[in-house]
Amino acid sequence: MRRFVTFLVSAALTTGALLAPVVATESEASAQEIQLTGPLAGAPAARKLRLYREGRFELAPTASFTLLDEYRRTILFGGRLQYHIKDWLGVGLWGAYGVISSTTDLTDQIGTVALRNSRTAANLAPNGAFGDQTAKMTYVAAPQITFVPFRGKLAIFQKIFVDTDAYLHGGVAFVGLQERGDCGAAGQPLCTDPKSFELASRTAIAPTFGLGLNFYVGELLSIGLEYRALPFSWNRAGFDSRGSGNNGKFPNVPPKIDDQDQTFKFNQMITIALGISLPTHAKVSD
Amino acid sequence: MDQARPAGSSPVGYKRRAPRSAVRIFTCALALGAGLSFALSAPSAYAQKRGGAKPKPPATGAAAGGEIELDAPAAGQPPAAGAGGTVELDQPAAATPATPPPAPAGEGGGICEIDPSACPKQADIKAAQNKTINAEIYAVQQIYALRARRFEVNPYWAFGLNDQFVSHPGPGLAANYYISNVLAVGVNGTLYAGLNGDSDFNFENRRATRVAVPLNEYQWAAALNFTYVPMYGKFAGFSDFIFHYDAYIVGGVGAISTRPIPVIDPDNRNFSFEPKVAFNAGLGLRIFLNRWFAATLEVRDYIYNEKLENTNPLIGQTQQQLQDKNNWFGENRLTNNVQAQVGLSIFLPFSWEYRLPK
Repeated sequence: MRRFVTFLVSAALTTGALLAPVVATESEASAQEIQLTGPLAGAPAARKLRLYREGRFELAPTASFTLLDEYRRTILFGGRLQYHIKDWLGVGLWGAYGVISSTTDLTDQIGTVALRNSRTAANLAPNGAFGDQTAKMTYVAAPQITFVPFRGKLAIFQKIFVDTDAYLHGGVAFVGLQERGDCGAAGQPLCTDPKSFELASRTAIAPTFGLGLNFYVGELLSIGLEYRALPFSWNRAGFDSRGSGNNGKFPNVPPKIDDQDQTFKFNQMITIALGISLPTHAKVSD
Repeated sequence: MDQARPAGSSPVGYKRRAPRSAVRIFTCALALGAGLSFALSAPSAYAQKRGGAKPKPPATGAAAGGEIELDAPAAGQPPAAGAGGTVELDQPAAATPATPPPAPAGEGGGICEIDPSACPKQADIKAAQNKTINAEIYAVQQIYALRARRFEVNPYWAFGLNDQFVSHPGPGLAANYYISNVLAVGVNGTLYAGLNGDSDFNFENRRATRVAVPLNEYQWAAALNFTYVPMYGKFAGFSDFIFHYDAYIVGGVGAISTRPIPVIDPDNRNFSFEPKVAFNAGLGLRIFLNRWFAATLEVRDYIYNEKLENTNPLIGQTQQQLQDKNNWFGENRLTNNVQAQVGLSIFLPFSWEYRLPK
């Protein structure tokens, strides 16, 4: 009996000795899946995180620069006020006012080169600069939600280390515009009338979304870089370009400017921000 | 197991007599083998390879401490030769003394014994303490994805960021070799032919203002580049996983083949593609999905001198003048083709050995 028991033990150990390297080798294939059984078992991917956002307000002065403009560029100055319910979720408002508005080279070229005659009378002011009839973005107000799925750190030249987060934002934008007023319809001035080239105010409602990076230089201050899209239709040049013909893609006869002349534009801008978070100290996760 | 012990025998004596010798030794050897197999296989579970840890030499004698014996002999007695009942993990050879003989007084052993004049003195040690050492310790060692001496193959899709008038999308391929972890030399090429798109905006603008904007289309671009990687970091995604990324700047020189799209006189003008010298500079972001596979996003500005179509009025020109190619081109203008390049990076070889410890 004793020999039999010893034999069984020997056989079991032999099997164990042979299988041990095989089992151990299989676990080698997945380097990231460490079979943790110690105190780190079940622990989160990152611990002792500075929770820069959770339970804090962020007030950030911003400067935004429009991109890929055809006729007029705008620089908007404003601010962003946000409250982060969680470290990964915030609600807030971004608002900015178009302070600087400059014409593009195309606008200047049209203003100086284009002939003023009967063929262009409805689209170019007879005496004024063409830039004066191009549309302007005067303000933007956007209630929005910010989602912060990624946070980490960045090393620059192995010298400077900054905590960084990447976020997505989305909301509804109320965009104040000044664009050429309607003309050519009953009760409206003729589109060849110089008065018809004056700009009228309008508010466009558009979705807004984008992504950004925040670089935390301390618990109080952060530097932000953000991309924002504001797709909506507007008549940027003040032309009568749509409304009749095949699919309505030809000018009206006689000329008429209305909302059909507003063409879709995927408006884009880059924003830089200086964030101030309150209260001044951030919590630290477990 | 005491009940199996012969009556009147002490535990030590029982061990020293060691019955059932062959089977018992085999059993214990297998147990040790199993344990050692696990122990030796354990490092394979680490995510990072261990660097430089050499196996510890076997301790000798009782002075080594921590010695494990399954069946230790009685204190002061050598194991009984041929008894076959003792298995020890760290037992020195029977002929090996328990401790090495002490060095003679006044000799340091080693170099002091061979050449007393070279034996370090107290003053030498003090001088050595003050000596500046170039310790290769970096802020971050064993970076997740090393680039040094690896090839990067980067297929991408390019699309213009400032092409309101004519879009220039196209596939491209970049290949870089990293001379060091932060510096690479490489080439890239983009094919635009057949993919240029003249937007509705051009037509509508011409129709409304009777002003023609000269347009150009691209055929291909190629460049020799240098890449510098000053920034890297890592992100925790959803507090659940971690991914690494780096940011780089890139610049170089090459050529871009372009031609005007005839707008002013499409009936007579038919332009051919011509390569022009193009300088480029850009920024890129690379997100590592594993140690050899990454997603890339790059914004690069290709700067070149573009030949535009002649926009002078055609009125009054003869047919011969209209067909004269010398009259087709107008001004040259420094042009910026800013394009985004979204792609994937594959690093070769796939694996490497870390030089620095973690």
